Amino acid sequence: MNCGHSITERDALLNVTRRHFFQQCGYGLGALALGGLLGTTASAERITAENPLAPKQGHFPARAKNVIFLFMAGGPSQLELYDYKPKLQELNGQPVPQSFMEGKRFAFMDSFLKEPPKLLGTVRKFKQHGQSGAWVSECLPHIAEIVDDISFIHTLATDQPNHAPAKIFLNTGSAQFGSPAMGAWVTYGIGSEANDLPGFVVLQSGFRGIRGGAANWANGFLPSAHQGVPLRNSGDPILNLATPQDYTDERQRNVIDAVNAINGDHLDLVGDPEVAARIASYEMAYRMQSSAPELMDLSKESPETLAMYGVEPGKPSFAYNCILARRLVERGVRFVQAYHTSWDHHGGNTENLTNSLDDVTKDVDQASAALIKDLKQRGLLDETLVIWGGEFGRTPMGEIRDTVGRNHHIECSSIWMAGGGVKAGYAHGKTDELGFSPIEDRVHVNDFHATMLHLLGIDHTRLTYRFKGRDFRLTDVAGNVVHKLLV
Amino acid sequence: MSLARLAAVLFAGVVACVVAHGEVAGASGQASLLDRVNRVESSIAALAVGPQTVKFNRDVRPILSEHCFKCHGPDEKKRKGGLRLDLRDAAIEALAPGNAGASEVMKRVTTHDLEDRMPPADAKTTLTPEQIETLRTWIAEGARYEAHWAFIKPERPAVPTVAQTAWPRNPIDNFVLARLETHKVAPSQEADRRTLIRRAYLDLIGMPPAPEAVNAFLNDPSSDAYEKMIDGLLASEHFGERWGRHWLDAARYADSDGYGIDNPRPIWKYREWVINAFNTDMPFDQFTTKQLAGDMLPDGTRDDVVATGFHRNTMFNGEGGVDPEEFRIVSIIDRVNTTGSVFLGLTMGCAQCHTHKYDPITQKEYYQFFAFFNNDDEINIDLPKPEQEEELKVARANVAEAQRTLNAYINDVENYLLAQWEQSLPTETRATFVASVQQGLMLPFKERHPDQEKAIREIFFKDDPEYAWRRADVSAAQSKVPWVPESMVLRKRTQPRDTFIHIKGDFTQHGEKVTPGVLAVLNEPAPSDAPNRLDLAKWIVDPSNPLTARVAVNRMWQELFGRGIVETENDFGTQGTPPANPDLLDWLATEFVRDGWHMKSMIRLMVTSATYRQSSTMRPDLLQIDPQNRLLARQSRLRLEAEILRDSALTASGLMNHTIGGPSVYPPQPDGIMKQQKVGRSWTVSTGPDRYRRGMYTFFWRASPHPSLVLFDAPDANMACTRRNRSNTPLQALTLLNEESCVEQADALAKRIVTEQPDDVRARIARAFELCLGREPRDFEVNTLMALLEKERALAPDEQSAWKSVARVMLNLDEFITRE
Repeated sequence: MNCGHSITERDALLNVTRRHFFQQCGYGLGALALGGLLGTTASAERITAENPLAPKQGHFPARAKNVIFLFMAGGPSQLELYDYKPKLQELNGQPVPQSFMEGKRFAFMDSFLKEPPKLLGTVRKFKQHGQSGAWVSECLPHIAEIVDDISFIHTLATDQPNHAPAKIFLNTGSAQFGSPAMGAWVTYGIGSEANDLPGFVVLQSGFRGIRGGAANWANGFLPSAHQGVPLRNSGDPILNLATPQDYTDERQRNVIDAVNAINGDHLDLVGDPEVAARIASYEMAYRMQSSAPELMDLSKESPETLAMYGVEPGKPSFAYNCILARRLVERGVRFVQAYHTSWDHHGGNTENLTNSLDDVTKDVDQASAALIKDLKQRGLLDETLVIWGGEFGRTPMGEIRDTVGRNHHIECSSIWMAGGGVKAGYAHGKTDELGFSPIEDRVHVNDFHATMLHLLGIDHTRLTYRFKGRDFRLTDVAGNVVHKLLV
Repeated sequence: MSLARLAAVLFAGVVACVVAHGEVAGASGQASLLDRVNRVESSIAALAVGPQTVKFNRDVRPILSEHCFKCHGPDEKKRKGGLRLDLRDAAIEALAPGNAGASEVMKRVTTHDLEDRMPPADAKTTLTPEQIETLRTWIAEGARYEAHWAFIKPERPAVPTVAQTAWPRNPIDNFVLARLETHKVAPSQEADRRTLIRRAYLDLIGMPPAPEAVNAFLNDPSSDAYEKMIDGLLASEHFGERWGRHWLDAARYADSDGYGIDNPRPIWKYREWVINAFNTDMPFDQFTTKQLAGDMLPDGTRDDVVATGFHRNTMFNGEGGVDPEEFRIVSIIDRVNTTGSVFLGLTMGCAQCHTHKYDPITQKEYYQFFAFFNNDDEINIDLPKPEQEEELKVARANVAEAQRTLNAYINDVENYLLAQWEQSLPTETRATFVASVQQGLMLPFKERHPDQEKAIREIFFKDDPEYAWRRADVSAAQSKVPWVPESMVLRKRTQPRDTFIHIKGDFTQHGEKVTPGVLAVLNEPAPSDAPNRLDLAKWIVDPSNPLTARVAVNRMWQELFGRGIVETENDFGTQGTPPANPDLLDWLATEFVRDGWHMKSMIRLMVTSATYRQSSTMRPDLLQIDPQNRLLARQSRLRLEAEILRDSALTASGLMNHTIGGPSVYPPQPDGIMKQQKVGRSWTVSTGPDRYRRGMYTFFWRASPHPSLVLFDAPDANMACTRRNRSNTPLQALTLLNEESCVEQADALAKRIVTEQPDDVRARIARAFELCLGREPRDFEVNTLMALLEKERALAPDEQSAWKSVARVMLNLDEFITRE
């Protein structure tokens, strides 16, 4: 949302001295020689501006510099992938014990009335892997290879049983549309080190778009500079990046030079720091026109690297987005979110727990693991927090559609985190023997957010923004850092 | 997960207002930033205070509100130690008025004993020595309370006298100048006529003036040339578009449902209604009443019903598996909160889960307010033109008849034909059906599950010729029904619903039953046996309501000066910022009501003031003492809104289609935008004149809004927006440089200047400046563009393309996208 309440803040931002502008703005205006362009000393003294995305100190030293969030949209089934429940297999087909159902909310509750749900044991084979002995099913053989580098959370709980509100909740800490996404909160808190790229980038792959769309990466009530920027995998990687048809780079530069020259003259006249910021924006736009295509160009990646991810050059895919995510954090981008869709396995013909699940796991397994290996090889895993998960988990009971699938489940889902100050080879939280509820170390979405911010050097209770008369936070009024997850 | 936990965040956003206040924004890197803000604020405050004594509302209440009320305020459940500080009677013992030395409050805020010290350590707020002194003085002087300023009906203040009697043009200026004189600051000189006409055009109709209009104004020798120009703009039908769009922000207008499915919705007739209301200068009290309760007016028209579309702009979740009741409640909560922020400037949402922590709004009152909106049906009405009505009636009757025949056939089938068909089914055919159908076929009709029955019938009818032609009859009749616009409206239910307090905001946890009622802290409602939405509307626009007129004039002021007199335009409560010029606000509010709530007159008053007509150039002295322009010793430079940017470029290039109203249109947008949401929607680019409509008519998909709108800070329409951001980002630069529409506009502008000035390069450049900026170019500008043209002639494929570069520069200039 772009409904703004930041006048005082923005005005204050603009009141920074010109000296500060050159020292800290990260707009790289030095080359432009703003002073020369603007002429008089008098005006130079008046010129003030600051890049809202300039890197800032957190509340305490950060463990992670950047975040890559691999978002499995639809709600991956933890019971087919990570949370091994032999007891559930044993009781397959039995009615659900009433004690498990009381007081709980599920999506599609009306369908329960037609037919009382029965427990569903998975047909997937589970094995323990690595030194840590983590259980991972046959669906994810590559992720099984990296279990000693990651931490599982088996007890992530949310409040929202429907897709769009649950996605918004996981992304913004609020189920109500209109709040800032976590990537926006992060760049608001600590800026971004990327000079020529946005600080919060969104990548998409899979079989359809994201429910809730742009609200998932909105700046909400934060200034618009913190909006997530979708990088597109066909056409221009960034909207309107390409110069107009008959324009070469040189011609584009001519236009921008003339714009900035006349704007500089105007700045002398009106003395408004906004004009200086505009000049800087045009410079950065120009740099993005070369930095973004360079980012997307994988020709300098080794064949081994491409093979490790399973990238087919020129073909948009989750694997392509994973390698882009690494390239983005290499270039200092603070927060990267790579969505993959169609994890909603209710049991319909195209959403079953057999071949439909295989389709999506095959799409992400190798590349997810490759991303961890690649970051590790390059020494980047220590400073990059990687997160893998979706908006909720799935029920231990079956749901009958064309085949048997699973319903949405808010009590627990399994996600994993790696790098950036998170323990390696650790499993956090336990669910009961049927996988209904956490019995140990429940982690609520608010706690997850608090922990993520903590790793970035941000105290989640102090990262606030005043809107409608109160100080808002990503974690609203709750959230505790999960210290057991930290190294 | 416990239900309580679920409840706490279910509707979220507004849930719990207990975040520790006083913590400053952002990470520590921003502490210095806020220090700067605070310094500026306190220097302004110091200017304002002068040698007077302590005043409760101005000096004390902000301290108590920020540091004390959370635990010692209206919310009984969170109250600590039984102490309540927001009411004098309750606090009197602890305060010891007149004897600060004996005051427990003073003792607690000054003690070094960390156990006893207030605010306590875990509140994470501390009082500054100055604040403690303010409290001491206030208590010593008798600890006098005042009701919060905004909850007291405004009294019309006397227009202050000023020394510089020649400056004021109307009373607004006396109020502004009086403060400037107190602070010994001179107002800025009047902007030149070229700037004035461009400012007025952009503010009042949202398009830059044509060169002819500029010249006419420049050459008008009459003393009221400016006023005549303003009156012309107020009479323009584009005025309704410009100001209607401001209102649509507050109304959270969008053309689709939002959430995951984001279906399109018919609501553009409401947009037309808003435009017309502004153009006909509908008084704001009627404007409000019709939108809140147009369906309930005794002599209401169809248009009045369309106005209730205001509260149909809530989002709708069409996702499978949702609990419809949950999202019905979400909509009503949005209606309550929107009504609170848009008309009353109150953050009512804080009382959804618990009694408001800062403002005197109880949770019970929240649900009494909620009850006003809990008795409606959400329907769509047809809006045929008069000449369509008969045709529509006949066509509808034909459809009904064909449908009746079809239904009769279907019923016959149930008892006879279907059974016959089932018996004749070969086993191998049966085997091709899905399992549930096969099972169903083995059961008697009565024992089948309705889903099975439905599936079996579908199979039968699929190959039944009689069904097919009867069905075709229905389709044929349907195809003859003329298309008429429909619109989403509210209709009062005949069977009212019961409303309960939702414990902790959880709609599944009912507390006490409540009936509709207004907020006790504001004006008395008119007596009514069974108050309804119409009574609510009447209460809101009653002249005794202390907030409505203030909130309305404040937002008009905000649109014309860049900042409201009350900066927190949606929070006039105790946590909001106090008015920068309280007497001015109250004079405007009372004037608005006295004049019959006419928005055009109020806007005219504002734009004809000397205050509005000042130059916006930043003065070195003002940069020092009032960088945020609270004293209004100059105008503000404002970047144009997303839609107005488009409108300006369409106007300058001559492409603009001036049609007013109608359904939304699809100007070009980059490929792939419609794929970012779950359900792929098409975006077939409008051809012909519809390609060049004003920005406000661009179809607004909530899940995938047009990127040019979002990038330039148009609101996302997910909740009421009463003030837009004005950001400045590289993605905006990329858009203006490269977006298809922008390039097309530049191309058209280039053609236009080349055609209109065939011979002379300088004349073409001058023409471009006239069209885009309403002024002549300076030498530096001419030289820069001539140099560009030379370079471009060498590189461009043709002369037109070289001129396109000149045009692109013009449409990218800061001055072009700014209202000076």
